Amino acid sequence: MTLNMGPQHPSTHGVLRVVLKLDGETVIDLDCDIGYLHRGMEKIAENRMYTMIAPYWDRLDYIAAVSNGLVWVETVEQIMGLDVPRRAHYIRTILTELNRIASHLLWLGTHAMDIGAVTILLWAFREREEILKIFERQFGARLTCHAWRVGGMPNDAYDGFVEDCKRFVDYFPKRLDEYETVLSENRIWLGRTVGIGVISAEAAVAIGLSGPALRGSGVAWDIRKSRPYAAYAEMDFEVPLGENGDTFDRYLVRMEEMRQSRRIIKQAVENLPDGPVNAKVPKLIKPPAGDYYHSIEGPKGEIGCYLVSDGTQQPWRVRVRPPSFINLQALRQMSIGHLVADVVAIIGTLDIVLGEIDR
Amino acid sequence: MLLLAAPTFIDSLLLKFFSEPTVNYVIWPFIQVGLVIVITTGWVAYATYLERKISAFMQARLGPMRVGPWGLLQPIADGIKLLTKEDFIPEDADRWIFFVAPYIAVVAAFIVMAVVPFGPDWAVITDVNIGVLFVLAVSSVGVLALILAGWSSNSKYALMGALRSSAQMVSYEVSMGMAIIGALMFARTLSLSGVVNAQASDSIWFLFYQPIGFMIFLVSGIAENNRAPFDLPEAESELVAGFHTEYSGFRWSLFFMAEYAAMVVVTAVATTLYIGGWYFPFVYRLTEAKGYHNVYVAVSVLVFLAKAGLLLYLYFWLRWTLPRFRYDQLMDLGWKWMLPAALINIVVTAIGVTVIQGLNNPAGLRTIKSLETGLGLTLSGKAIAIVFGFGNLLVTAGILSLINWRSRDFNLKKQRRQIRLVDPPKGRPAVMPVSSESPG
Amino acid sequence: MPLVPVPKPTFAQKLKRFFMVDLLQGMAVTLGFNIGALTDKDAVAGKGIYTEQYPKVRPEVAPRFHGAPRLNMDPETHDTLCIACNLCALACPEDCIDVIPMDVEVVVAGKPRRKKVLDEFIFDTSRCMFCALCQEACPTYCLELTQDFELATYSRAGFVWNREMLEQGRETVKYKS
Repeated sequence: MTLNMGPQHPSTHGVLRVVLKLDGETVIDLDCDIGYLHRGMEKIAENRMYTMIAPYWDRLDYIAAVSNGLVWVETVEQIMGLDVPRRAHYIRTILTELNRIASHLLWLGTHAMDIGAVTILLWAFREREEILKIFERQFGARLTCHAWRVGGMPNDAYDGFVEDCKRFVDYFPKRLDEYETVLSENRIWLGRTVGIGVISAEAAVAIGLSGPALRGSGVAWDIRKSRPYAAYAEMDFEVPLGENGDTFDRYLVRMEEMRQSRRIIKQAVENLPDGPVNAKVPKLIKPPAGDYYHSIEGPKGEIGCYLVSDGTQQPWRVRVRPPSFINLQALRQMSIGHLVADVVAIIGTLDIVLGEIDR
Repeated sequence: MLLLAAPTFIDSLLLKFFSEPTVNYVIWPFIQVGLVIVITTGWVAYATYLERKISAFMQARLGPMRVGPWGLLQPIADGIKLLTKEDFIPEDADRWIFFVAPYIAVVAAFIVMAVVPFGPDWAVITDVNIGVLFVLAVSSVGVLALILAGWSSNSKYALMGALRSSAQMVSYEVSMGMAIIGALMFARTLSLSGVVNAQASDSIWFLFYQPIGFMIFLVSGIAENNRAPFDLPEAESELVAGFHTEYSGFRWSLFFMAEYAAMVVVTAVATTLYIGGWYFPFVYRLTEAKGYHNVYVAVSVLVFLAKAGLLLYLYFWLRWTLPRFRYDQLMDLGWKWMLPAALINIVVTAIGVTVIQGLNNPAGLRTIKSLETGLGLTLSGKAIAIVFGFGNLLVTAGILSLINWRSRDFNLKKQRRQIRLVDPPKGRPAVMPVSSESPG
Repeated sequence: MPLVPVPKPTFAQKLKRFFMVDLLQGMAVTLGFNIGALTDKDAVAGKGIYTEQYPKVRPEVAPRFHGAPRLNMDPETHDTLCIACNLCALACPEDCIDVIPMDVEVVVAGKPRRKKVLDEFIFDTSRCMFCALCQEACPTYCLELTQDFELATYSRAGFVWNREMLEQGRETVKYKS
């Protein structure tokens, strides 16, 4: 029997169409149909100047807008050889880690809701609200922030930024403990997530997974460690690794990542250097011709930007390496053999955002 | 106080127009029926309000606040909205069955309230000798409504959802029925009022004799009502449409009401059988013994509603905390955990009652006090019964573990593990942070 | 993939499993929130109620918020600060700004000069993505994004704002609670 989980579906986190071939209730084949959110971002980027592209990049993975903005400006800064001051790097680190926490909170809320525990969604959104308030006070927008400019930041940290971050850092672990109390040992949660959606480390690397999906299978690859950007080279944190590659391990990995993010924010806030927040940027941004690839560790995986410049003010070609798109390719392998109700859990554990998949 | 004198006043008024048998057997029952329907419908409507408020408080939000002070008129607003929606029937649907199915669901849920004892004397519509059997039989009719609704919707997914839902309900009804038998051994009667009287005369709740029975009954009741954490057929209905997908407006509200009424029924029956029904220790002494008969009945009704309300809170609490079971895990739980536990409960309780009767020696240890209202036990008898009740926990745990030794869910703890934290070596930085002096 | 084994459960763990401690501890958290919703006032770090009852309670908007655009005027002379330099229109990624200048005759140091001033300023808020590039581009701090976020109108044409709307701002209907 063929079952269509259509584009309008409460559990597919966006407009994703999944066509399932079922034998009774077991999935024997799965096919994804994407493109419902295609907005032509990469084509738009070919006709805009480098500074104007940054606001569009927020709309890629709209939940992790700060990370998307970071990959774009860092790519341009790399090409142009700009020296961004240290304070800007630190503030970028703090806010990107806050964004990581916000994205993981949304993942937790929606994943728990798909599996049935709706209360976690509301609690996670309350935490997320505090982070979004910090973003609003700093950038002016909550979700699609247009956070960074080429060379640094538009404004320095607002008055009270350090206090707000410290306050968040203080009460956040207690909240994480609350979520873990409700979920991590709950037999129903374990029954729904242990052994579901298993992917081995070799298969994960072969597909090109990144982010928590890869680390849940035991592969120790985190771009913040292997190719540090922003201020991560100076930060002291650890990378959680799962062992089984099932949904439960990815859940534990993301929960621990939130704790490690909090650790990074705490360190960065305590050691925040003074100084300017902007590099000297030429009036017109015309990177030298050539191609360049830069990637960062976004909340969902490796967000990359492949930029081909032809020496003019507008790029020749921009290609985004969307982590969710590549992670989604693992869906088929993970779901075959499981029941229909598990497919929802597996889509949730891959943490996909259609904005990134379809661009 | 005027309200409580009303029954005698109305009685004298009616006796002026009708003969006594008519008044006692025709008119008063109608009034009782009317009252019970009003109370139940009000309880159901405000159960929806309470669910929204309680779930909101658990989620750190406010719930309905706009319609009326603190949102108290929200159920009325919901009712008006549902009544004024467009009433459409899917093409090629079986019209008459489509019409009738919601009504069957509501009726099946409401009829059970006819035998539930809200209070001692006139607060039960009819005290049927086989009350428990009646309850089980009539609530099973609700399953029929589900299947009819799924069938008549003319939709493949609605039918599948309805069949899954009804399979779930039927399997948990078996364990529900089996679980009750333990309590009935102490009550020695199938009539619900008799069960409450047995608890009242002994001043003990059957909960202490039957902790496992209570748990099984409650869990099976929740699964029977398709409520979380057993609401996969209803909630995953995005995937395979639930039985009430094609219903909208008033018809859907009937299903909704039937679900909440069934919840109310399960809580009412659980209160009656296990936590003493309308009985509360000092009420009799303070009211009836002093001659305030109507006050006694009214306070007992309030006690009953409060106890049922606590169990209803448990329903909401479970729904908004626990994730959902998957369908196969659900059926697994019903047949491999609940049913064996219920059967073990019967056996152990029977052994316990036999031991009590065996030890009852008028010359030596007296365990049985009287056999008029149920199994009246002396203190030593009660002690033995409680020991058997809680010893049952160990026996059940042991046998259930044996049965489920190899099942996947039982061995989950073996499969879960902790994650490890590593610190991979830092690579060459892609971006070097410059010092904080002026850029250049 | 073979599952990695874990150590056998201790007796304490077995007891916890038997008494369903894992389910009960989750329920205890929820109960704590239920009681806290009625008693606790701290919503951010505690268990209080987090909801703001908008529109009865106006939300607190940050000073840097990218809201509705406004053309600022000189506080003393009430002349517009806009010098019709067109930098905002050039900075906008979405091309939603249209600056229409006009030439006027002014007398500067006794000599008549032609000065470019602002005639009409069209801002299409339906195309705007509130990225604030225009606000950053403006050299005289004239174009500013305010804290107004309630921009709904009843027609598409209502989204296109002209100079007057930009300078005066819009009348919002206050909610009568």
